[in-house]
Amino acid sequence: MNGIHDLGGMQGFGPVVREKNEPVFHADWERHVFAMLNLTMAAGQYNVDEVRHSIERMPPAEYLTSPYYEHWLYGAENLLDRKGVVTRAELAQRIAELTRKGQT
Amino acid sequence: MMPALPKDMVALAIKTGASARAELKAPPRFKAGDKVVARNINPATHTRLPRYIRGKQGVVQSNRGGFVFADTRAHGLGDQPQHVYSVRFEAHALWGADAAPHDAVYIDLWESYIEPASER
Repeated sequence: MNGIHDLGGMQGFGPVVREKNEPVFHADWERHVFAMLNLTMAAGQYNVDEVRHSIERMPPAEYLTSPYYEHWLYGAENLLDRKGVVTRAELAQRIAELTRKGQT
Repeated sequence: MMPALPKDMVALAIKTGASARAELKAPPRFKAGDKVVARNINPATHTRLPRYIRGKQGVVQSNRGGFVFADTRAHGLGDQPQHVYSVRFEAHALWGADAAPHDAVYIDLWESYIEPASER
């Protein structure tokens, strides 16, 4: 698909800023997303090409303004919902639960 | 559903990745030195053919072997392996006369992404 992921030849994004001593993960949640995506693939829920296409379907503005592992998370959430493994409703319920927990 | 990865293989798979190489019986359609044109296709589905080379001419550098096809695997249509070629595109062919004269990009392309330049 002619999506926002296919950036070759586009201009106006400014220079690529290299981070000195860049860590593998910038936050703990990224570590969890890495493990979750790899393990759901290992369990046969989807292959890497399905994940890539799932990421391509992110809304373009969201794609450009979110960190790398959020793309992975979006890719996994989308596919797990489509395949009925973890539905959007279940996800929303769990987020609400954790939000309540975090507030107490 | 594909078989699950055994527990003792997970660490290795994460460390080294899984190979996409595949056995191919079909002979290669192209060889090093062949002039080819990247097809102008715009599927709404997954493709690894970058937009900026579509319709542009390049030269096959080498045959990298058989690889499973991402475009079909992304949609549950099987591995459908093809030959993959390294193709060189000159900067001026992609970006016009103002491009740096000696720049070029090498892009790995599945066989169905390219056609002989003479067929145009």
